[in-house]
Amino acid sequence: MNIALKFWSGYVRATHRWPIIATIVPFIPVVAIWSIVANSGMFPRAFFPAPVDVMRSFISLTYKGILPDYLQDSLIRLLFGAAIGVALGIPLGILIGSSRLAHRICWPVLLFFQAIGDIAWLPILLIWFGFGLTTMTFVIVYTVLFPIVLSTVLGVQSVHRDLARAAQSLGASPMRVLWEVTLPGALPNIITGLRNGLGYGWRALIAVEIIVGTSGIGFMMFDARRAGSTVEILLGMIVLGTLWYIVDAWILAPIERATGQRWGLVTS
Amino acid sequence: MKTLSLKNLRKTYFDPYAGSQVTAVQDVSLDVEQGEFVSVVGPSGCGKTTILNMIAGFIPYTGGEILIDGNLVKGPGPDRGVVFQSFALFPWKTVLENVGFGPKMRGVPKDERDRTAREYLALAGLSHAADRYPNELSGGMQQRVGVVRALANNPAVLLMDEPFASVDAQTRMTLQEELTRIWQERKPTVIFITHDVAEAVFLANRVVVLSKGRVLDQIKVDLPRPRVWDQLIEDETFKRLSAQVLQMVRAA
Repeated sequence: MNIALKFWSGYVRATHRWPIIATIVPFIPVVAIWSIVANSGMFPRAFFPAPVDVMRSFISLTYKGILPDYLQDSLIRLLFGAAIGVALGIPLGILIGSSRLAHRICWPVLLFFQAIGDIAWLPILLIWFGFGLTTMTFVIVYTVLFPIVLSTVLGVQSVHRDLARAAQSLGASPMRVLWEVTLPGALPNIITGLRNGLGYGWRALIAVEIIVGTSGIGFMMFDARRAGSTVEILLGMIVLGTLWYIVDAWILAPIERATGQRWGLVTS
Repeated sequence: MKTLSLKNLRKTYFDPYAGSQVTAVQDVSLDVEQGEFVSVVGPSGCGKTTILNMIAGFIPYTGGEILIDGNLVKGPGPDRGVVFQSFALFPWKTVLENVGFGPKMRGVPKDERDRTAREYLALAGLSHAADRYPNELSGGMQQRVGVVRALANNPAVLLMDEPFASVDAQTRMTLQEELTRIWQERKPTVIFITHDVAEAVFLANRVVVLSKGRVLDQIKVDLPRPRVWDQLIEDETFKRLSAQVLQMVRAA
């Protein structure tokens, strides 16, 4: 009992010093079970590879430069699409959130198109734009747009009316009210929308790459299926999960801590 | 000189659910001199907050006139500083940035507006809190910031809408005493909306009693300043005036 407590205390202190430990440790049992099942001979190795095989494949594909290239392609597509989605989504969300008329006109249309999932657009997009970047970008922008618009609307509506009034009575013009009050007030919600949007966009991208792609992580996985390489498929899946964790933990979470949580708008 | 003048002010609006016109403010005329502290009391629904919102320019009026230094009010503006019951501090700005917001909107350079803000923070005994965020302060401290933020912009009129209603009773008394002290130092023109009769009498030079969208009566308060609760609570004049106002409000 005493030793267990000491161990626990050591673990808590270690994770406090090196937070990455807290990320890695929960995966130890997952990888261990995977390893045991793979090595038990229950399934053929070519059908169900072990962690070591995937690791080896990771090193070899990285060394050849294929994995970094594909990863870069996927990320650039996602960032490009997300940037357009943000540039369209935030202004649209502010408009709908602050104008009752715009809300009445746009809201039903918005919900209608939100229901048509990203992938459902692919058949018509392939006819219109063919197998290329335009189709991929369209799908990502489409996927990213809705969570951002909906969250921005919510964010704008959640800003207390007295804050805008206070700014006005201190001499702020409508543009200054937008910049000094509406935007920062809506920011925690906008970040939530961005997080959801990027998450959905990332998944949509992989789906689109499988169908449309000539490169990228999704393409790598589907191409591996053709070659019957389960190792590369699993590697692709692990890359997807890891990458998202990094984006979330290293980019989105720090932004949240520096804004909404710091201001007391969101309780941590 | 009249700083604020309400002439036959009226507010009606259409209630789509009832399908009829509702009168919030019937007919209110009121003149406020420069440097005067006027409390407005009345039972809930008497239209006091509506009047304040119209003076502030937040909602349009449907009849009569509102004049500030002779100019017709057409919308919100920096000549009317507002202190809100909800404090309405900007959570993403430090205390210093909140107080410097008005000067910033006027284009005052950062050094100068920081100096102004610090001066006003000192006035409210808040110098130590300059770099904190509003959510790190107690309710009483937040409203002190709310008051000096409005004052730092040098408004012609300070409009206060039940500003101390959401703090605890002890803090409220302290805030009331501090407000009378600050008023004596700076002599701003103040319209103070409240439903608390003792508060109205304690703070003001004049108490206006509203009822059903009209001015029922006005009472001059000639109590000596500085006003301190420990002394006034036993003061015969204070008791008499409070009782008088209370009677009117209850009959209203």
